[in-house]
Amino acid sequence: MTARDDILGAIRAARATPARTAEAIAAEAASLLDAPETTRPGLAPAAGDLADAFARKAGALGTTIEHLPDIAAIPAALRRYLDTHGLPASLAVQPAAEFAGLDWGGVAIHRDLAPDEPAALGLALCGIAESGSLVVHSGPDAPVLLSFLPLHHIVVLRVDTLLPHLEDYAALMAKQASPRNAILITGPSGTTDIEGSYVRGAHGPGFLHVILTRSTD
Amino acid sequence: MSAKPHPRVGLFVTCLVDAIRPQIGFAAIQLLEEAGCIVEVPAAQTCCGQPALNSGDDADAAHLARQTIAAFEGLDHVVLPSGSCAATMVHGYPELLADDPDWAARARAFAARTHEITSFLVDVMGYRPQGRRLDASATYHDSCSGLRDLGVAAQPRAMLAEIEGLQMHGLEGNDVCCGFGGTFCVKYAPISNAIVTEKAEAVERSGADLLLGGDLGCLMNMAGKLHRRGARTRCFHTVEVLAGLADGPAIGEEA
Amino acid sequence: MSHPIPQPSFKARAEAALADRTLKLAIDRTTGTAEAKRAAAVAAFPEFDAARRRGRAIKDHVIAHLDHYLEQFERNATAAGAKVHWARTDAEARAIVTRICLDADAKLVTRAKSMLGEEIGLPHALADAGIERVETDLAEHIIQLAGEAPSHIIWPAMHRTREQVAELFRAGHQPPPAAEDPATMVQSARRALRAKFLGADIGISGANFLVADTGATCTVTNEGNAELTTTPPRIHIVTAGIEKIVPSTAHAFALLRLLVRSATGGELTQYTTFHCGPKRPGDADGPEEMHIVLVDNGRTRMLGDEFREMLRCIRCGACMNHCVVYRQIGGHAYGGTYPGPMGSVLTPVLDGLAGSRDLPNACTLNGRCEEVCPVGIPLPTLLRAWRSRSWREGLEPGTLRAGLGVWAMLARRPALYRLASRIGVRALRLFGRGGWIARLPLAGGWTRYRDMPRPPGRTFMDQYRRTRAQKGGRR
Ligand code: SF4
Repeated sequence: MTARDDILGAIRAARATPARTAEAIAAEAASLLDAPETTRPGLAPAAGDLADAFARKAGALGTTIEHLPDIAAIPAALRRYLDTHGLPASLAVQPAAEFAGLDWGGVAIHRDLAPDEPAALGLALCGIAESGSLVVHSGPDAPVLLSFLPLHHIVVLRVDTLLPHLEDYAALMAKQASPRNAILITGPSGTTDIEGSYVRGAHGPGFLHVILTRSTD
Repeated sequence: MSAKPHPRVGLFVTCLVDAIRPQIGFAAIQLLEEAGCIVEVPAAQTCCGQPALNSGDDADAAHLARQTIAAFEGLDHVVLPSGSCAATMVHGYPELLADDPDWAARARAFAARTHEITSFLVDVMGYRPQGRRLDASATYHDSCSGLRDLGVAAQPRAMLAEIEGLQMHGLEGNDVCCGFGGTFCVKYAPISNAIVTEKAEAVERSGADLLLGGDLGCLMNMAGKLHRRGARTRCFHTVEVLAGLADGPAIGEEA
Repeated sequence: MSHPIPQPSFKARAEAALADRTLKLAIDRTTGTAEAKRAAAVAAFPEFDAARRRGRAIKDHVIAHLDHYLEQFERNATAAGAKVHWARTDAEARAIVTRICLDADAKLVTRAKSMLGEEIGLPHALADAGIERVETDLAEHIIQLAGEAPSHIIWPAMHRTREQVAELFRAGHQPPPAAEDPATMVQSARRALRAKFLGADIGISGANFLVADTGATCTVTNEGNAELTTTPPRIHIVTAGIEKIVPSTAHAFALLRLLVRSATGGELTQYTTFHCGPKRPGDADGPEEMHIVLVDNGRTRMLGDEFREMLRCIRCGACMNHCVVYRQIGGHAYGGTYPGPMGSVLTPVLDGLAGSRDLPNACTLNGRCEEVCPVGIPLPTLLRAWRSRSWREGLEPGTLRAGLGVWAMLARRPALYRLASRIGVRALRLFGRGGWIARLPLAGGWTRYRDMPRPPGRTFMDQYRRTRAQKGGRR
C-alpha cells in the first residue's frame, strides 16, 4: 500500500456515514458560502464610492494614496514621490504594456531588479475595498519579486478594477486559469516579532504607495 | 421568566461550603426564602463530583451524578451557591450519562432544573434585595464556570447595585481565571500561585474594601493569597453580602 | 517521534520558566498586545460570531469529506504542474523533503515559517543531511540564531525580549545592528537575509490553506519573506497537514477573516499569496519545480476519535494568548511542537500520552480558550477527554488515584460522608489559629503559597440539621 492509499483508506475507515456524491458535496460547499454579507465587514462608507472605501482601509494600514486623473500623469507624480523621499531619480518599472508609451522625463527607468532596489513601479490587477488590498498576479510581464524586493513599492490601481469584497475577487479568480502566484497585498511589509511591537519593512517594502487612476488612457 | 410564586427549591450546598463556610448556605436559604421559595436541603447530597470529573475518573463522577439526581427528584429547582458545581450538573451530568439509557433523559431534565443561585434569583424569581445598606466599596471577580458555562455576569451585579452605600470598583481582568482550577491548584501549585498572585495584585490595585465572587473555591484561593500577602481586602461570597452578612466575619475571620 | 520529550519533567520545566522573570516580561509584552488587538478587531467586526459559525461549518464540511477534497486537490495541483507527495508519518515527510533536496544537490535552503515543518522535525532533518537552512521569518531567524524551538505558533520568538534579540543580532549579523530598538534590528535582519533569499537552491514553505478546486497552496505572512523564499529558488517545496484543505478560494477567504483577526488583530495579513504549480512558461520569475508534501502524522487517527474537532484548528494562536497557564510558563515548558491549550490537545496525539499526560492536566478548565477560538473548538472538553483516557489507561499517579479513591468512597455514601466531614473539619481546625491555617500537611501545595481559611467547628449539614430539629422542621 502506498502512503496515499493508506491515508485515503484511513479517512474512509473513519467515516461514520456513507460517502456522498461529488455533486452533493459541491452543493453543500456552495451553500456554506450563502449570504456572504452576514459574515463580512461592511464597507465604509456604506454603499459609497469604492475608491473612497479602499482609500480609507488602505490608508489605515500605512499605505499612502495619491489620486491621478490618468496614467500619463504618472511620471510627474513619481518624480515628486522620489524627491520627497530623497530617492535618486531612478526606478524599476514593471514591463507592462500600460507603462510602455509613457514619457518618463528625468527618471531613469530599468527592468532588472537589484537585490536592494530602492523603488519599483507596478500595476495592480485589481483592488479590494473591504480590506484595502491590491491584487497582483505573476506572469511574463509581472515578476513576483517586483512587489517584494524594493523598499518603496509604488502601485498603479485603476479605480474601475476595484471590487467590493474578497468574494468578488474569488469569483473573478474562478473564471480564469490560476497564475503561478496570486498575491493580495494589504499594506507595507511589517512585523511584530520583537515584543509584539510593529515595525515596517521587515523583508518586503517598507513603503507602499498607491496611485489611483480613473482611467488608463 | 415565569415561575410558580412559591417553587420548591432544593439547595445543593456544595462540599466546600458545607465544610469551610456554612454561612454561605444559610445566606442562600435566606435569599431564596425572601424570593418566595420553599427551600429544602436533601440529606443525601455530598459533592457534585467535580474532582472526579476533572481528574478523568468518569465512573465515580457518573455515580455521584446519579446519586445527586436521585436526591433532588421531585423538587421544582436545584440551586447551588457555586457556578462551577452548577455547571458540572448542567453540562457535565448530561454528558456523563448520555450513554446510559436509564439516566440520560433524567440527567437532561435535572440539568434543565438546575441553577446557579444569583442567576436563579434574578432570572427565574425576579428577586432584588430590599432595604439593605452597606457602607463599603467592593469589587467582583467573575468565576470562570459561572461566567462562561452559565452566563452569570449581569445578575449578581444587578442585585449588588440595589445595596445602598455599596460602591462597586472595577477589577482589571475580572473575567480572567484566578488559578484555582480545583485539584489544579495543588497538582500544579507553583503555576497556580503565579496566576493567583497576579489576581491578588489586581484586587489590591482596585482599592476596594471587599472582594466578592460566586464560587467558594476561587474565593478561598484569592482570599488565602491576599491574606498571605498581608492585604486588607475582605472576601465574601456574593450571597453573604446580599443577605446582609458583610458586617460579620469575612472569609478567614473568626466570629 | 519528531519532538523528543525534553528530559526534565513538565513540572520542572514549568518551575524553571516561572523563575525566569525576563521570560515573563517578554510573554506579557507580546500576549498583552495580542489580546488587546484581537479584542479591538472583534469589536470592530459585528459579524464575527456569524463568521465564526460559518468558519466552523466549512471546516466540519471539509473534515467530513477529506478524502474527496484531497483527491481533488491532488488532481488540480498536478494539472498545474506541481508534484504531490503523501506522507503517513513525520519520518516519511522528512525523508521526502530531504530526498528532494539531495536529488537537486541543494546546498542552501530557505524556509518560511511553518509549524508543520517544526512538527515533522524538518530543521533537524536538513541539518542531518548536511544542507544549510536559513529561516527567513524574523522570529524564526531569531530562534535559529539562539538555537531554539518556537515558543508560540504565531510569534515563535515571543519568549525573547528586545534586549536579548539585540544580543543575538550583535553576535550573528555582520555588521551588527547599531541600536537595540526593534526598527533598527529589523533593518539589520533585512540586510542579513537578502543574499540568502536570492542565493537559495530550494525554498520551503508551509501552507495556511490548500485550495482543492485550483490546486493552489496559500501562505499568509506579514513580512513578505514567504514570497522571497518561494520565488527565487529553482524548487519550491510545500509541507502541509492534510486538514488544511478548503473547497475553494472563497472558502479560504471566509476562514482568513477569522484567522487574521484572531491571530494579530489585523483584517488580512500584508501578504496573502496563492501558489499554484511552478512558474508558467514565459513567466518573469518563479521556481521551475513545485513539490507539495501532504502530511497525515496522526490526523487520520483523530478523525475517528474524540479529538476530531481539533482538526478544525486554523493555528491562530488566540487560545494561548488568552491562557493563564501559557502566560505564566510560556511555550517551551509545554515540551511539544505546539504550546498552549491547542498544544495540550495535540501533543499527546503527536508524541503519545504517556510522556505528556501533564499537559491536559495542567489547566484550570476556565474556558477562555474556547471562548476566543475562531472555529469553536471545545478545548476544555478535549483536555478533559485526555484526562479520562489517562485515568482509564492508568497513567495518573498512584497517590492521586488513591486519594481520589478514598474521597469517592465517602462521597458515594452520604451518611458516612457527613460523619467524615464532621470529624474532618474539627481536625482541620487543629492546624490553625484565628481564622487561618498557614501550614497543612498533605495540602502543602496550597499552604506553601497561600493561607487556608480555618473552618468553623460544625459543617453546614450539621448546623442545618440542628436548627431544623429545634424548629421541628422539614426534611
Ligand atoms: S485551537 Fe482555536 S484558538 Fe487555538 S490555535 Fe487553533 S483555531 Fe486558534
